[in-house]
Amino acid sequence: MAEPREDNYMNRFDRAGLRRFRAREGVIAIAVAAIILILTAGPSIRKAGEEMNPGIGRDIVLGVGRPSTWVARKLPFVGISTAATSWLNPEPNLSGPGGFANPKTLAASGAVPPVTPAAFEPATLGEAEPARVPLHTLLVTGDSMSEPLDNDLAEVLIPKGVHVIQEPHIGTGISTTFVVNWGTLSAHQVKSDHPEAIVVFIGANDGFPMTGPEGKEVACCSSSWAAIYADRVRQIMNTYRQDGVAHVYWLTLPAPRDPERRKIARVVNAAITVAAQPWVSQVQIIDTVPIFTPGFEYRDSMTVKGKPTLVRQADGIHLNEAGSSLLAGTVLQAIGRNYTY
Amino acid sequence: MLFPTVQFAIFFPIVLAISWWLMPKPKAWKPFILFASYVFYASAGWRFIFLLAAVTVANQLAAVMVHRADTERRRKLIVTIAVGFDLGLLGIFKYYSFFVQQWADALGSLGLSPGLPLLTIALPVGISFFTFQAISYVVDVKRGHVEPASSIDFAVYLSFFPHLIAGPIVRAREFLPQLKRPRDPNRVAVSSGLALVAFGLVKKVVIADYLARELVEPVFAVPHAYGAPDVILAAYGFAAEIYCDFSGYTDIAIGLALLLGYVFPQNFRSPYRSTGFRDFWRRWHMTLSRFLRDDLYIPLGGNRKGRLMTYRNLMITMVLGGLWHGAAWTFVLWGTFNGLGLVAEHAWGGRVALPGWLRWFVTFNLIVFGWVLFRAQSLADFGALMSRLTVFTAPTLWTIPVLAMIVLVVGLQLLPPDWVERLQVRIESARPLLLGVGLAVVIAFVAATVPSQGVPPFIYFRF
Repeated sequence: MAEPREDNYMNRFDRAGLRRFRAREGVIAIAVAAIILILTAGPSIRKAGEEMNPGIGRDIVLGVGRPSTWVARKLPFVGISTAATSWLNPEPNLSGPGGFANPKTLAASGAVPPVTPAAFEPATLGEAEPARVPLHTLLVTGDSMSEPLDNDLAEVLIPKGVHVIQEPHIGTGISTTFVVNWGTLSAHQVKSDHPEAIVVFIGANDGFPMTGPEGKEVACCSSSWAAIYADRVRQIMNTYRQDGVAHVYWLTLPAPRDPERRKIARVVNAAITVAAQPWVSQVQIIDTVPIFTPGFEYRDSMTVKGKPTLVRQADGIHLNEAGSSLLAGTVLQAIGRNYTY
Repeated sequence: MLFPTVQFAIFFPIVLAISWWLMPKPKAWKPFILFASYVFYASAGWRFIFLLAAVTVANQLAAVMVHRADTERRRKLIVTIAVGFDLGLLGIFKYYSFFVQQWADALGSLGLSPGLPLLTIALPVGISFFTFQAISYVVDVKRGHVEPASSIDFAVYLSFFPHLIAGPIVRAREFLPQLKRPRDPNRVAVSSGLALVAFGLVKKVVIADYLARELVEPVFAVPHAYGAPDVILAAYGFAAEIYCDFSGYTDIAIGLALLLGYVFPQNFRSPYRSTGFRDFWRRWHMTLSRFLRDDLYIPLGGNRKGRLMTYRNLMITMVLGGLWHGAAWTFVLWGTFNGLGLVAEHAWGGRVALPGWLRWFVTFNLIVFGWVLFRAQSLADFGALMSRLTVFTAPTLWTIPVLAMIVLVVGLQLLPPDWVERLQVRIESARPLLLGVGLAVVIAFVAATVPSQGVPPFIYFRF
């Protein structure tokens, strides 16, 4: 095998007898590629824009995506392209039951929802805790917050024979359904995996406007927004608890560094707590705030086992390995109250 | 803004068209491309454009002062200050948290307080690359390899968006002469550029991301869940993944630069056909290797001061090269492992005659072993991965697509280089219009393989 010449990095193109063209041809070629993509995937451009956080970038992508969608829908190429490439899609088919119910429908039902025994923690009634049962299947899911917590839980539980399903959906949120509709996704997860215990850590990407009972968009972070969010969370919790067969461990968000995100996180946490109220014996809220950010004040580090330790990632949102490992201990304790493993 | 995103797909055609419209007027083109590059960089975090600007101003000032300095001592002093400034920034943003945590752990075990605030600091994207380019410029001026460029030329060189985020690390003397002469709009490597962009997308999105999703991430995340067959396959899978991820990025970067009329140096040359560590580092991330060689190994004395000093210099270079990749002990050990490989080759090279295939076999497997260190999230995880090698369970991740991709990635590099290059040149010789249509088809198929969470960032974006 011949040794490459060491300082010959720049002339690979000329050495190979590079064919050169006019720049205009390059611009035309790129324009042709862009036109083909608009005709075959115009709606994807709009969808990508809708998934982005508000800002000038989103406006630009939507500025291109909306007319592209309009043009693409007038012609048959999107269908042809989808038919040709859909077999490559790595995602499971999420069509089926689930999805978020319209808040108006929920509000219109009129009847006062009955209080069920699931709304009471046995301990608060002075009752004995139910006997623990063996844990066979645990689902750890959420957005990027659930990483690397899922690994930490898996590392402990897999050697003990528990089937741990790790299903982070990065970049998703409950207030946005563009990437994933968590109502549909949770139904799909329950149907396909039948987990007995579910750990959920989500909310870092939330804060998107949602449609309220009046059909109007409600912006974050009013009480109206919190109510819609809590409705959605409650639907997901209800799906996961599987009529009381399963236990759900839902984690609140530790305060993020960015003050704007902190506002959203505070409302998300409040909504989560409210959402769980009908089933507090089955849906346990694990509050990360007192552990990592007491008083909801952001901090990078804290004392762990007597040593000052960094517990957050540089983005000021996620937990790092040490923080996640600490949290895993708390989650395992909570799971251990209901299950043996 | 990642290359394989809708945002970039909108950004680039606009920049390309305006770029060629302005190209005959360099006074207009340079501010435009500088603005476009800063917009590109701001999309990753607008605050960091001030850092990029500060590095530009400081190093340009240093280069001009070095050029004007009348004594060697003064030149050395200015270069030392400039390099110290660049490495200081790199140290603060990239290594502060790591070293303070180690310091706190060490003092904590003695019951002492670290005395420094334990903070995490957001890492500006591409800082490892643009600080190295800035260093290379100042050092090149000091060595007389280049004259100080005009401020706008240097700013364009440092921030030119195709290489801003993850290289290749282009030398000032490779890029600045290109900037001095306006590009000829009648001699553009359009087809090569388009073909490289398409190759890069396939490598990154179809191969690297698939291997990561289906094989590498599950095993490296929870080693305890897998036995020896899966761990071994994941090691080879990561070797294929990191090659396709990084060389895919480089292909796209080189392709975009070609479309804009500029030539970047190569960064990879079939690294998995190497027959030794030295050979590997001449084929893998070639622009980093030569930076480390020219700006660290040789100034340390290279191989000119005897055998032991050569070994010392090799080890220092490779350990620091490992640390450059990230603030973690796994990277330090990975660098150390490669340094030991180079030292061993120096020590025994030529004394033992091994057949070529055996040298390739040994080298390839040692490189793959090194990648396990590189990819492991911690030393504990590395230990867990090694311990799983003794657990023989049925393979669970050995699927035909995974195996086919690994064999394809390694196998193509073992073919005679002429064959692959000839095939590539043939594709690159096609009419641009045909390749434009081809690029659209490739993008459509590649996009269909992207999961709902989008394209994961390139591995080297973190560095």
